[in-house]
Amino acid sequence: MSNQINFHPDRSMLVEFSAGTLETALTICVSAHLHFCDQCRSELLSLDQLGSQLMSDAKPSDIDESLLDTVMAKIDEAELAQVNSKGSARVPVNEKPSSFPFSVNKLIESTEHSATWSRLNSSLDIARLKTGQDKFEVALHRLCAGGKAPKHDHQGIEYTVVLKGSLSDERSVYSEGDFLVRQPGDIHQPMGGQNSECICLSALSAPIKLTSPLGFLMKPWLQIRPM
Amino acid sequence: MLRKIIDTVDKPSQSTAKVAVLNTAEKRSDEWSLLLIAVGETRDRQAFAKLFKHFAPLLKSFSEASRHQGWYPGLSEDLVQEVMIKVWQKAAGYNAEKASATTWIYTVARNCRIDMLRRKSNTQHLPLENEDYWHEPDEETPVTLLRQKRNGDKIQESLAKLPKEQDEILRKVYLEGKSHAEASQELGLPLGTVKSRVRLALQKMQILVSPEFQEELPHE
Repeated sequence: MSNQINFHPDRSMLVEFSAGTLETALTICVSAHLHFCDQCRSELLSLDQLGSQLMSDAKPSDIDESLLDTVMAKIDEAELAQVNSKGSARVPVNEKPSSFPFSVNKLIESTEHSATWSRLNSSLDIARLKTGQDKFEVALHRLCAGGKAPKHDHQGIEYTVVLKGSLSDERSVYSEGDFLVRQPGDIHQPMGGQNSECICLSALSAPIKLTSPLGFLMKPWLQIRPM
Repeated sequence: MLRKIIDTVDKPSQSTAKVAVLNTAEKRSDEWSLLLIAVGETRDRQAFAKLFKHFAPLLKSFSEASRHQGWYPGLSEDLVQEVMIKVWQKAAGYNAEKASATTWIYTVARNCRIDMLRRKSNTQHLPLENEDYWHEPDEETPVTLLRQKRNGDKIQESLAKLPKEQDEILRKVYLEGKSHAEASQELGLPLGTVKSRVRLALQKMQILVSPEFQEELPHE
């Protein structure tokens, strides 16, 4: 995957990703970006090297002599169990293109009853994903070619990664792999690219605020439901 | 600088460029990587025992450094066990082109540590294990591999020369497992100071690709 990616997660997010201290929902978004971005993946490798260097520099602790035997016994046990239960075949539940990040496809697959699209307006669908955390609503959004999302403000922070196609708003055009951050006060109206539908992954910490006069008619927008 | 490498590597046909890079890159020959390859390829138990002897004490020390919420000392030995079992089970997937055994084992340990914490603190079913987020494309690009080879030694060398306050924060972040926000609270420093100390340290170690790259970021 190497198209030109112009928008990357902040470096401190990448450090927290490497150190394993980033929140789950953001870990998912960064992981999706990494799938597309050679540069960030390359920096992540260096950051992981830094982590391993810090680990190796520390003073080693004493280990009980019997621990190796315990571990070997557990390894043998696990291998035996594996031989005895040849895994049952899993049935794919949804459209999961191989161009999607592995982690996103796995989330789609493991969302109960499979992730399903529901309509938000004539050009926009949402499929919420089960992520086992309750701070962010993590979801896929699908915008049809040339379709417009309603103009909105943000009450919390919103992270978006373009997975397929492209979209644009007042600031720029975003294509596959681009990582967007929108904060309260950032009003925008995303629009799908003209040639194909656009699918994005997003994490939203609070409901968006519609800025159009009839916004109140659109109830589904006014709440987030993390799961 | 990187731009130049990308240009020279990417312009000619992708496959010939790749061969050239892999041939010129020095082979990974450190003891631990060779042992890990032996475990992966031939299920060599003696090689595994040697890895265990070297890494188990480091992993235990890594576990004991953890200051995550919900972590307690009793978990340290569990983590050592879990990581070493995973090392055995996943060794066949180890790619020596991409990382040294030490870096690879660090990533296994980090992922196990997060999963243990999530399992302890979460009553909800967790759909993914942490390593799922680190799933990489099967083939890394030549640029990535080249950069990675150049960097290992530089990081080791420059880490030793960091000013104390930068070194302290990196240890908090990587070993104690503190987020930048937690580190800033603990040290009584503004979040921006913590972030800029980390960034300075990374720049000194040449982990950040280039200054231009940062300026492209949307302003926070």
